[in-house]
Amino acid sequence: MSSTAQTSEKAGPRTRRRSTPTSRAPWLLLAPFLVVFLLTFILPILAAVGSSFVQVTRKGLFGEAGVSQEFAWFHNYALALQNSSFISSIGRMFLFGIVQVPIMIALATVLAFLLESASAKWPGAFRAAYFLPYGVPGVIATILWTFLYVPGLSPVIDVAKWMGIDVDFLGAGTVLWSIANIVTWSYTGYNMLIIIAQLKSIPGELYEAAHIDGASPWRVARSIQVPLIAPALMLTTVFSIIGTLQLFAEPQVLMSVSPAIDSQYTPNLSAYTTAFAYNDYNVAAAQAVLIALVAFVLSFAFLRLTNRKS
Amino acid sequence: MTRLTRRQLMTLGLGAATATTLAGCATPGMTSVNTAPTLPAAADGKPVTLTYWAWLKDLQAVADIWNAANPHVQVRTVWIPSSGQGGYQKLYTALAAGGGPDLAQIELRAIPEFMLVNGVVDLARYGASGDATTFDPTLWGQVSFSDGVYGIPQDSGPMATFYQTAAFEAVSAKPPTTWTEWAQVAVELRKNKVYIDCFSISDPSSFVAYATQAGAAWLKADTDGWVLNMTDEATLAVARFFDTAIDSDLVTTAFALYSPPWFAAAANGSLASVTDASWADALVEGVANGEGKWRVAPMPRWEHGGYGSSYRGGSTTAVLAHSAHPAEALAFATWLNGSHEGIDALIKQSGIGWSPIKDYIGADRTGASDFFQGQDYNTDVFLPASTEQNDKWQWWPITQQSLNILADEFRRKPSGQTLVDSVAKAEASILTAFRNKGLTIRKGEA
Amino acid sequence: MTAPTTGKPETTASTATTSRSTRPGTRASTKIVVTGLLVVVALYFLVPVYWVVVASTKTTTDLFSTNGFWFAPNFALFDNIKAVVTYDGGIFVRWFLNSLLYAGVGALLATYLAAAGGYALAKYKFRGNGTVFGLILGGVLVPGTATALPLFLLFSQLGIANTYWSVLIPSLVSPFGLFLCRIYADATVDEALLEAARLDGAGEIRIFHVVGLRILTPALVTVFLFQLVGIWNNYFLPLVMLSDTKLYPITLGLNTWLSQVNRLPEFYQLTTGGVLLSIIPLAIAMIVLQRFWRGGLTEGAVK
Repeated sequence: MSSTAQTSEKAGPRTRRRSTPTSRAPWLLLAPFLVVFLLTFILPILAAVGSSFVQVTRKGLFGEAGVSQEFAWFHNYALALQNSSFISSIGRMFLFGIVQVPIMIALATVLAFLLESASAKWPGAFRAAYFLPYGVPGVIATILWTFLYVPGLSPVIDVAKWMGIDVDFLGAGTVLWSIANIVTWSYTGYNMLIIIAQLKSIPGELYEAAHIDGASPWRVARSIQVPLIAPALMLTTVFSIIGTLQLFAEPQVLMSVSPAIDSQYTPNLSAYTTAFAYNDYNVAAAQAVLIALVAFVLSFAFLRLTNRKS
Repeated sequence: MTRLTRRQLMTLGLGAATATTLAGCATPGMTSVNTAPTLPAAADGKPVTLTYWAWLKDLQAVADIWNAANPHVQVRTVWIPSSGQGGYQKLYTALAAGGGPDLAQIELRAIPEFMLVNGVVDLARYGASGDATTFDPTLWGQVSFSDGVYGIPQDSGPMATFYQTAAFEAVSAKPPTTWTEWAQVAVELRKNKVYIDCFSISDPSSFVAYATQAGAAWLKADTDGWVLNMTDEATLAVARFFDTAIDSDLVTTAFALYSPPWFAAAANGSLASVTDASWADALVEGVANGEGKWRVAPMPRWEHGGYGSSYRGGSTTAVLAHSAHPAEALAFATWLNGSHEGIDALIKQSGIGWSPIKDYIGADRTGASDFFQGQDYNTDVFLPASTEQNDKWQWWPITQQSLNILADEFRRKPSGQTLVDSVAKAEASILTAFRNKGLTIRKGEA
Repeated sequence: MTAPTTGKPETTASTATTSRSTRPGTRASTKIVVTGLLVVVALYFLVPVYWVVVASTKTTTDLFSTNGFWFAPNFALFDNIKAVVTYDGGIFVRWFLNSLLYAGVGALLATYLAAAGGYALAKYKFRGNGTVFGLILGGVLVPGTATALPLFLLFSQLGIANTYWSVLIPSLVSPFGLFLCRIYADATVDEALLEAARLDGAGEIRIFHVVGLRILTPALVTVFLFQLVGIWNNYFLPLVMLSDTKLYPITLGLNTWLSQVNRLPEFYQLTTGGVLLSIIPLAIAMIVLQRFWRGGLTEGAVK
């Protein structure tokens, strides 16, 4: 089929053979992954797009006089974007992301530096302690923290009251940050390990040179370490951005104890509620497509931005 | 080479388009099982197993009574979270996947919503109309639409006030008989840093119950479609009353009914009463160290008319659209909810709400209660309450969505929007939601 | 791991050096301050775990009435654990095994698929290489939750919704894993080795299995761990796909118990006990596994 022989550039003069096995091999190796990828990523996205351009009309009080499906152009998208709860959920996620992601990455970086510095004792034990929350699934972490947020059950609130502070973790103004706390608790250790791995790969010669030049530890951090861990910072930030847009389990579990969380609190929760509580599958598909687009654009933009800088 | 690649691309594109169309074609819930022929009962002797999804406690024990007497029709119960915790999502998901159980617990207010997605079987086609006389006509009315019957009523929730006697005695107050008196008692209680009740801004079903008691009827099914009126005088009066109550700090909005903070407040005495349905007795009995501290009094009335009591909650047993044995399922449901044996077992094992059978409140419900200071509260308070309910109220196809819309508006109360404005805004959004579903609706006059 | 306090940088034999930032003469006071900070932070991360240990020794009434940070006179830990493990016919154990199945099998297969794909993209030049890679990279940037809903509808059409497959199949795909493997294969799998194997007459697939996989092993470990934790933590996918409680992973199962606390207070004890029992193996696993966590980036950045 292929008139051009597939050749490997690095191979030497013996590349003139037909190499059909070599041309088939990559596809064979890729095939299992691609098949499942197509089935579980591409096809659903296409299906969601298709579903978002269709709408259902009903005749009669309950649709008993006829139900039909028709092409709806962008009507579902208009509905999704007119839904003020959905829009505020996206806005809420922006706010959350702008505050929580930098704080968490900064904390992870500081901890990484501290642990890797010469003045840390028992770094292995601390690393283990900080990494432990990552293994606790988000739902279970939220259940844990729910008990710590509910007045009457929470020793934290009791301690605060004893100190004279009246703290409400579940009120309208604070519950978003209570969720941010759970996310930070869960993922700081994980991000920290990624940064530490990158830190460890900085060649010792650079430190030696800086030491010879008499650089202070702050200078070392600023000029050598931070620039060289930039890839790790980028990776963790992109993942955190994507994670922020996926927020679902934490608000859903907290809904049962906090009246301030409505069923459309985050974009994902909104899509889930629209699909499975209101049975508005077409609008939910439009919402899912919008969420995917926003995530894609944001991550892409961030990667572009940081690539251009370096 | 290029041409081949283009052709390959085109094939891929066609394939994708086909897949998209195929997939997009399949919005769930579009075909109605009630237009297809009825399914016959299984031949004699052929064993049938029915699955029943519900959030009632210990339901299998009740089902086993039937199982023992009916070896050919066995019922297996499966627990699902309650409606507020995702139970309906499970049902909708199962229905969308073309499966689901034979029977399910569906609240009275959710039946129209399931009808909208063709999720429930019209039991009149299997002979259910013959059982109408067994049940309380108010309940039967809530499951009947256009000559069809879409669920067998299981329980209802006539309302009354559960209160902690110590808190009331501390301010020398008697249980209030009107809402105005209720507000006065609340003021006194606040002096002891006690709240008389909570107002759930995240769950407006209590508000709906109060409006129902005041005589409202938000939606009516007319011949040409639905008619909506949420801003009638009864509803607005209730909204104004609670606006004042919240503004004067007579009730707390910090938590919802029966949430962990609610139980904590009830246990330490900072919450003095709860006005809710009869099935709340089981929940009140769950308050830590609460035995002997509570009594039941009739619900306060509205001065400007209305009814003596209201209802909140109430479930049915419905047969779901993909059931292979609707006839057997109906037989079980009728036994479960319509026979003294079934209802007694449900009360004893599962703690259901008020009995749906006309003139029968259940064997266990008569007599004094140890928890409630020896009061025979079912006979004395709830039985009369169940006869004083608004029988004009109807539920509608997007009840859950409407309540969510209302809750979202109520959530703005702490930041200054009044409940009155919330009701008006919710009404407008609900109109739009109806129309987006493709249904006909108009705003009615008061 | 602790750098000697002489201030000399520590170097190891390999090119990827374990380097510690150097400071002449780490003073004892700095050490105390840093350690103090680290301890405070550790407290933040460990307090909830401590709380659940204490809470699972209490009965529901004690949970509401005694101080959260200390034990109650009534030590009910063993009763609670017994209740958790035996409730509803031992469904908790079943949930745990389900999670192991989804996460273990899923991660294993996902690693293999990612390795094969990454190796193929890195070591072969073929038309479409860039496009495929770009497509897969796009998959990394799209949240999995956006695809769960339409995937559910798709699987319903295929009739496999609410089965083990409905959770396993989506777990087999790890675009990030493929991305990692490709980087690592690009950097570490020597073309000369492959040529030598070809000269010996080995087929491409065999070369991959015998030569490629062996060299890729460190990256495979990372991908496996990443996917393992990812599947274990996944909540949205099983929530949408599963309605039969017997198929639930432990995340769904525990949330189901939590959702019953309002009606049946005994579920407080079941939930805290269940949370404790699920955290213990996870905690041990994390503590053991954190030394293997390379983050993956340094693999390719070594050269």
